Amino acid sequence: MNKSTLSRRSVLRGVGGACVALPLLEIMGGWDGPGDLPKRFVVFWTPNGTILENWRPTGTPQNYTMGPILKSLEEHKSDIIVLDGVDELSAYDGPGDAHQKATGQGLTATALQEGDFKGADGNSAGWGNGISIDQAIANVVGAATKFKSLEFGVNVYGANVGSRISYTGPAQPIPPENDPTAGFNRMFEGFSADPEAAKRRMAERKIVLDAVGADYQKLLPKVGAADRIKLQAHLDAVRDIEMRLGSGGVIGGACMKPELGVVPKPTEIANTPVIGKLQMDLLAMALACDLTRVASIMWTNSATAKPFPWLDIPEGHHELAHRGDDDMDARAKLTKINTWYAEQFAYLVAKLKAIPEGDGSVLDNTLLIWVNEHQKGNNHDRDQIPYVIAGGAGGAVKSGRWLQVDGKKSHNDLWSGCMNAMGLPDKTFGDPKYCTTPLNLA
Amino acid sequence: MYVKGLVTSALMATAGWGCHNDSSGNEGSASGGSGVVSGGATDAAETDNDTPTGDGSSGAGDDTSGDPQATCEAIAPGASPVRRMTRVEYDNTVRDLLGDKTRPGLNFPAEEESLGFNNNADTLVVVPILAEQYQDAAEKLAETAVAEHLPALLGGCNPASLGEATCAEKFVTNFGASVYRRPLVAEETTALLAVFNAGLEQYDFETGIRLVLTTMLQSPAFLYRVEFGAPIDGETAVRKVAPYELASRLSFFLWGSMPDAALFKAAADGKLETKEQVAAQAKRMLADPRARDAVREFHDQWLKLKHIEEVQKDADMFPDFDPAVLTLLRTEAETFIDHVIWDGEGDLNTMLQAPYTFMNAELAKYYGVTGPMTEAFEKVELGPGRASGFLTQGGLMAVLAKANQTSPIHRGKFIRESILCQFIPPPPDNVDITPPEVDPSLPTRERFIEHSADPFCAGCHQLMDPIGFGFEHFDALGKWRDVEAGKPIDATGTILSAKVMGDFDGVDGLSTMLVDSPEVEACMTRQWFRFAYGRGETNADTCILDELGAEFAASGRSIPDLLVAITQTDAFMYRAHEGDSK
Repeated sequence: MNKSTLSRRSVLRGVGGACVALPLLEIMGGWDGPGDLPKRFVVFWTPNGTILENWRPTGTPQNYTMGPILKSLEEHKSDIIVLDGVDELSAYDGPGDAHQKATGQGLTATALQEGDFKGADGNSAGWGNGISIDQAIANVVGAATKFKSLEFGVNVYGANVGSRISYTGPAQPIPPENDPTAGFNRMFEGFSADPEAAKRRMAERKIVLDAVGADYQKLLPKVGAADRIKLQAHLDAVRDIEMRLGSGGVIGGACMKPELGVVPKPTEIANTPVIGKLQMDLLAMALACDLTRVASIMWTNSATAKPFPWLDIPEGHHELAHRGDDDMDARAKLTKINTWYAEQFAYLVAKLKAIPEGDGSVLDNTLLIWVNEHQKGNNHDRDQIPYVIAGGAGGAVKSGRWLQVDGKKSHNDLWSGCMNAMGLPDKTFGDPKYCTTPLNLA
Repeated sequence: MYVKGLVTSALMATAGWGCHNDSSGNEGSASGGSGVVSGGATDAAETDNDTPTGDGSSGAGDDTSGDPQATCEAIAPGASPVRRMTRVEYDNTVRDLLGDKTRPGLNFPAEEESLGFNNNADTLVVVPILAEQYQDAAEKLAETAVAEHLPALLGGCNPASLGEATCAEKFVTNFGASVYRRPLVAEETTALLAVFNAGLEQYDFETGIRLVLTTMLQSPAFLYRVEFGAPIDGETAVRKVAPYELASRLSFFLWGSMPDAALFKAAADGKLETKEQVAAQAKRMLADPRARDAVREFHDQWLKLKHIEEVQKDADMFPDFDPAVLTLLRTEAETFIDHVIWDGEGDLNTMLQAPYTFMNAELAKYYGVTGPMTEAFEKVELGPGRASGFLTQGGLMAVLAKANQTSPIHRGKFIRESILCQFIPPPPDNVDITPPEVDPSLPTRERFIEHSADPFCAGCHQLMDPIGFGFEHFDALGKWRDVEAGKPIDATGTILSAKVMGDFDGVDGLSTMLVDSPEVEACMTRQWFRFAYGRGETNADTCILDELGAEFAASGRSIPDLLVAITQTDAFMYRAHEGDSK
């Protein structure tokens, strides 16, 4: 395969005659220059914790063997950081039960709002109370792409704090798209070969969105405080669409409009492996086409009761995760589940590695992180969350190591460390009271 | 750790808080747990009625109540948040506005849910993906409308003879009032005409009209119900809901859609002022088929009917199960609700006790019942014991079951939460929540009793499982069974910790107790309150809930009468007003 950057220059050069620049790009410009490769941030989220003993590597930080759960990552070892020992300190505080806190705080690192979502032990909670790390990064690196970010879901069920990880701000959760067909249509709508039609469409949208935005703007001062927050969020969304009118993506090189084929029913649990793979394919293509630079994929949801028939596990994940430490059957099955998730993670790693960019691959310019809801399911342990990082973030992340973090190091510090790796100067993320210094990933 | 008696959530006010027998300090135990809930919690429900929802996104819901008697004189509408359309409301509205039946809302992300309903105003926020889909839908709708119905949109105005500018102005003013569900203010007309002119200048007349419609369909006036109310002399914190706003309140509540011409006319003529006028409109609207849709939507959510088609069963356990029957099971439930409320007795007791249901030939075959011979659904009398309203229908029974066996836990929990409006918290940390494995030699009941014998689990499970055991005649597919694991079904059960407590046998026994319970009656009004007003109840709503409860009881628990009563309260006729607004 030809090595090519996804820059304008590669388009002009042309790749195999198949390259078609999207007309909108011609109108609006706004590309990184040659050599200035985009950085991307991707979250891979799974629920219900792991079995730490089977997850943790053995050996020394530089010379180690992957644990049984992560064995599929052995072949990508030089691109991986096994991040061991970061605690979700904030997720022990504030409203909500353990699942609500860990899910709503996993990427926000700040206590949840009060609210009506029912939880265990008489707890209840509202939405996450801050922007999530992916969105904070997207606000900076996602300005030039068609989508600020893309949220993929695999059988994410329900619409409450346990089924949302991304937030554009307090109480503004972003629903993931569970249906590959809908995601496909959204992503590749406008990959049209007719530049005149695209130009007109953009001009018309500009007229309409100007008026729509002004309409919301005029309303804001006239409504009460709570309503104003909602309408402001809507206005922000309209402005966001308007700002991206000229952004499109580009077909050429590794970017092509994929053939989706027959998509099995996304809500059928037995289809999870197929749907998950399709979603990862779309995610990878979204990066290859520079449709977005920030994405997440959420596998089911907090405390999911879904079984794993393709692994011959009829029990629900949450039920299994609740069983005691001495239940060997449950431990074996939970290990099997997490091993399967690791294989999916490895698939995504391989996929990004296969997209050439500059002198390397898209993976080299990406920070991909696997976030688990908990460390352990049966006591909802939120210390020593089993993170795995892949990719180099354009040289800002030093991979190929087992990074053991001692003491109480918060995931706030992990997220500010990721911001630094992505080129953002922030020293804190989320609730500053949990922050010390950003975790150095370099 | 929470303190016993300190109620921190509306849901916990009634029951369930503290049923865990864990280390958090609650004294409830396997033997004494019922006392904790029945004594402490139901008292809490009476005195506090409910507590502020405490949702951080809402500025309203102050806990000003104290002595309900003292406050019921004042106008107290409670929180009055701006309400965004749900997907169903969007689809219904574009159907009534543009004749479009493509249901574009199906592509929008699912609403966030709160208290079992998807129309809670506090949870409905807009993120870019939704704004994007509003844009796509508006573009497609406007394109189709202009291509197919331009003369109708223009109200007969012919641009060739009357001039393009005149027709555009007419369109904005007249059709715009339908889209915005009220007359436009001058500022809006000016802004929309500017859109028209931009389209006209750059392209052509039709483009101008199409872009105006595209703009209107994304405006807050269309997507939300934004209200300013009408000032009342001597009141600063409360306003009367203005006539056009009230027309929309009525139509979205009773039809899940925009007002019709008669409602618009009533608003224009000043005939939506008095409670009597509003009640008269509500009664007129209930006779319209659209009311059936709205009431069905409520039950789809309250009774989890939307989940029937998502049911998945274990193919090893049930090799003959064909998921195609799920659609029929949903139709059974909806046909039954439709029948009871609109063509039958119309009351809550019948919904819980009717000895009949509805089947077609295929569904009758599924149940092993003789009767219906065609595809059409017809009433089938099953007799007491075999049928008890919606409680015994196959769809609900299959939803409230595991893939390979029944689930007394989920069935009991449903009664607690959906029918009694109580709350059972999910299991605490560090407990094994795997249901007992299927054992061909042991009935479900015995396996579940053994399973929750642990005192750690029993505190909560005794509130659910003994109710759920009453459903044991209905297997995981919702079919009747007399025998399980070689033994006759034992469907005796017990309700603990409720106002009506005691033992019963079978679902008909259970439903007999339920209809005697004031909690069931109050719960029905509470569920409709949440759905109708798009918010959770708070302390400030005590008077309104009492008023609705009294009306519901006096009407013989008539659902249609309750719907009319909901339009008569302060929460419907008035709105809270923030001083700094407009």
